[in-house]
Amino acid sequence: MFKLPNINIGKITLLVTILTWLGMLFVDLLRLFGTINQMNLGIAPEITWSLEIMFFILIYIFISRSLAQNENNNFIHLIWRGASTGLMALGTGLLIQFFYYLLNNTRLSKDPLLANFFYHVNFGMTTIFLISCTLLWKHLILYQKNKNVVQQWQIYEVMLTVSMFFIYFNQNSFDFTFLFGLLFLLIFSIIISVNLKWIPYLTFKDKWKSILFFAIIIISSLGLFLQMLSYSEKGFILVNLTDNLFLLGLFGFVFIYALFSFLVTLFNLPTSSVFEQKLTEAINFQKLSQSIQPGQSESQVLDILMDSCMSAAYVDAAWLEVKDENNHFQILHQRFITNKDRKDIKELLKEKKPFSDYLKNNRQIDLEHIHGPLDHEIFNSALIIPIRVNKELLGNIYLLKEVKNGFNKEMLNIISTFVGQASISLENHRLLNEALRTERYKEELKIAQRVQRSLLPSELHHNGSFNIVGFSEAADEVGGDYYETYQFNEHRFAMIIGDVSGKGTSAAFNMAQMKGIFHSLAQLDLSPKEFLIRANSALSKCLAKNHFITTTYYLLDTDKHEITFSRAGHCPTLYFKSENGKSAYLKADGLGLGIVRSGKFENYLKEKTINYQPGDVLVMYTDGIIEAKDQAGEEFGYDRLREILDISYQKTPNEIKEIIIDEVYSFVGASSLTDDDYSLLVVKFDK
Amino acid sequence: MLEISIQTEKDQTTLILKGQVDASNSVELDEAIGELLNKNHKKILVDGSGLEYISSAGLGVFMSYLEDFEEQKVLFLIYGLSEKVINVFHILGLDQLITIKANKEEALQTIHEA
Repeated sequence: MFKLPNINIGKITLLVTILTWLGMLFVDLLRLFGTINQMNLGIAPEITWSLEIMFFILIYIFISRSLAQNENNNFIHLIWRGASTGLMALGTGLLIQFFYYLLNNTRLSKDPLLANFFYHVNFGMTTIFLISCTLLWKHLILYQKNKNVVQQWQIYEVMLTVSMFFIYFNQNSFDFTFLFGLLFLLIFSIIISVNLKWIPYLTFKDKWKSILFFAIIIISSLGLFLQMLSYSEKGFILVNLTDNLFLLGLFGFVFIYALFSFLVTLFNLPTSSVFEQKLTEAINFQKLSQSIQPGQSESQVLDILMDSCMSAAYVDAAWLEVKDENNHFQILHQRFITNKDRKDIKELLKEKKPFSDYLKNNRQIDLEHIHGPLDHEIFNSALIIPIRVNKELLGNIYLLKEVKNGFNKEMLNIISTFVGQASISLENHRLLNEALRTERYKEELKIAQRVQRSLLPSELHHNGSFNIVGFSEAADEVGGDYYETYQFNEHRFAMIIGDVSGKGTSAAFNMAQMKGIFHSLAQLDLSPKEFLIRANSALSKCLAKNHFITTTYYLLDTDKHEITFSRAGHCPTLYFKSENGKSAYLKADGLGLGIVRSGKFENYLKEKTINYQPGDVLVMYTDGIIEAKDQAGEEFGYDRLREILDISYQKTPNEIKEIIIDEVYSFVGASSLTDDDYSLLVVKFDK
Repeated sequence: MLEISIQTEKDQTTLILKGQVDASNSVELDEAIGELLNKNHKKILVDGSGLEYISSAGLGVFMSYLEDFEEQKVLFLIYGLSEKVINVFHILGLDQLITIKANKEEALQTIHEA
C-alpha cells in the first residue's frame, strides 16, 4: 500500500528558510560581483525583494509553529524566549564587529563581498528576533482577549502584510509615502500595545524577572536598530534589505510594546502584593466551598477557614476552639502562639469589653464578629469570630495582631464572607452525612420488609371442602398484621388472624413474636380459649406496657362441619350464612391479649361453636379495613363490608377478596396513602 | 389533632379530649394522665364527647394505666363517648375494665356513690 512519508513540516520550513536566505545571499553577491566588475547580469532588484518577502513569511510560519508546539507558554517563559533571541542577535552583531576590529584595516576588512555576507547574517538574525518578538507580543496582547482586541490584531496583521509588499511600490526609496506608512504603523502599534492584561497575574518575583527580560529586549532592539543604521550610512551596501517598511514597523512595535510592558510592570510592583492577596482569597473561598466531600472531616474545613482568615487579615497568631457535647470549648487549631499566651489572652478577653459581653453569655445570635484593642505585651488587637451552623454556635476563631487597630473594614468583610461560606460547607457536610444515614436506614427497612413478608404464609392450608385466600398490606415498610393456618390432620385445621397495636417497626417485632407463639401453641391442639389464655400469658412477659394484640383463633373440622373460635378483642368475624341468604357479624365477648396480664384474663374470654353449610363464607379482617377513611373523613365501617359480602358471596374466595380490596381502595381514593395495615382472609366452604 | 384540657372541681379532675387520638399524639394523652397520677388525683374523669376517633395506640394508653389505677385506688371513668368510639372500646373488650358512662350526669352519680 502507498504510504505517505512522515514529513516533519517544521524541519522542511527551516530548510526552505535557510535555502531562501542562501538564495538571497547568492543573488545579492552575484549582483554586487557584477557591479564591481561592471557587468550587467540582468538581475532585477525585484528578485531580491521577492526572496526577502518569502524569507519573512517563512520565518513567521516557522516561529508561530514552534510557539504553538511549545506547551510551556507561561508569560515569563515567553518573554525569556524574546530576550534570549535578542541577546543572540545582538551577540552575533557584536561578534562581527569584533571580527572587523581584529582585521584592523587589512584588505579583507574593505572587501565588499565579505561585508555584504555579514550584512546578510545580521539581517537574518534581526528578522528572527523581530518576528519572534512580534509573535510573542501577539500571545500577550491576546491574553483574556475580547472581540475588539482580536479585530485590532487582525487589522494590524493585514497592515504588516501590506507593508511587506510596499517595497514594490516605492522601489526602496526613502520618500514621503514611506514615512507616512511608518508613522501609521507606529500609531497603530501604540494603540494595540495598551493590552497588558497579563501583567497583574504575575507574581512579585515574576514581575522582577519580566522587568529584567524586557530591559534586555529594549536594549537588543535599540542595539540592532543602531547597527542597521550604521550599515545604511556606510554606503557599501548595494542592495538595502533593511530600509524596509515592514522591518522598521516591527522595530517600532517590538520596542513600544516592550517599553510599555517594562514601565507598567515596574509601576505594578508596589500593588502586586494586593492583587496576589485577592487571588489567594478567591482561591481560599473556592477551597471552602469545595470542601464538602464526604471524605473530608469538619476539622479540615475549619483548618482551611483558619488559614483563609489569617492570610486575609495578616494575622500574627490565632486559635480556634469548638464546643463539645458538654458545652465546653476545646482547642482544635492553634497557630503561632504558646499555650500560656493563649490562656493569658483568653483571661484578658473575658475581663475586657466588648469581648467580655460575648464570652460570658453566648446568646448574641446575630453577632458576626467582635474586635477591639488588647493589653498584652505582644498582641495589641484581637478579633473573635463566632462560627455558627444552623444558628447553633459551633466554635470561635480568635485572631491576634501585634499592631493596634489591626482589623479594618475590608478584612472584617472578607472574613465574614469566609465564615459564612465555611458555615454553609459544614452545614452541607452534615446534611450529606445525614442523608447517607437515612439512606442506610431505608435499606435496613427494606430488608426488614422482606423478612416480614416472609413471616406471612404464601400458602394457606386447606382441603377439598373449603378454599382460603389471604391478603395483607402495610402502611409503612413493615406492619403489625398477622394471619396463618395450621393443619392437624386431613380434616382439622387451625386459623388465626391478629393485629398488633401501633404500627411500623415496633408492631412488626410483636407480630413476629405472635407468629412464634402461634407455631408453638398450635401444635398442642388446644381449644381456642385455652390457646388464647396461654398466648396471653406468654405475651404478658414480652409486650411493652401499653401494647396489646387483638386476635381471633379458629378451629375448623370439615368432618363435623364445625367452627369453634374465640375472640381476643379482634374485629368480629363476618359470616355469610347461605341458609339465611345474608351475612352477619359473629358476636362473642373477649379481651385483647396483653391487656390483663394475670390469671383473671380467662374470665373475659368466651368460646363459640357454629356449624357451617356449603356456600357459607367466612371473612376475617383487621381494623385497617373498617377504619379506612375517605376524603371527607368518613370511615368505611362495618355496614359497607357486610353489604359487599351480601352481593358477592357467590363468587370464588379470590374474587370476593379482590372486590372487597377494590371497594376499600376506591372508597379511600386513589390519591391518598394507606395509614394503617390492611389484612383480609376469605374462606368459602364448598361441601 | 388532639386537644387536651384539664378542669378541676373540688377533688375530681376532668380530662377533656377533643379531636383524634392516634399513634402520633398518644404520647400527649399518656403524659396528661401520668401527670394527674403523679399529682395524686384520686378521681379522674375523661370527657370523651369531643373524641372523634381513637386508634389502638390511644387505647394502649388507657390500658397501660389500668394497673396503676387499681394500685393507687384511683377512680377512673370515661363518659360522653360517641357510639363509634364506644364500639372500639367494646370490640377490644376494654369496656369490661374501664367504667364507661353515657353522659356527665351518670358519671357524676357514679362518683358520688363511690
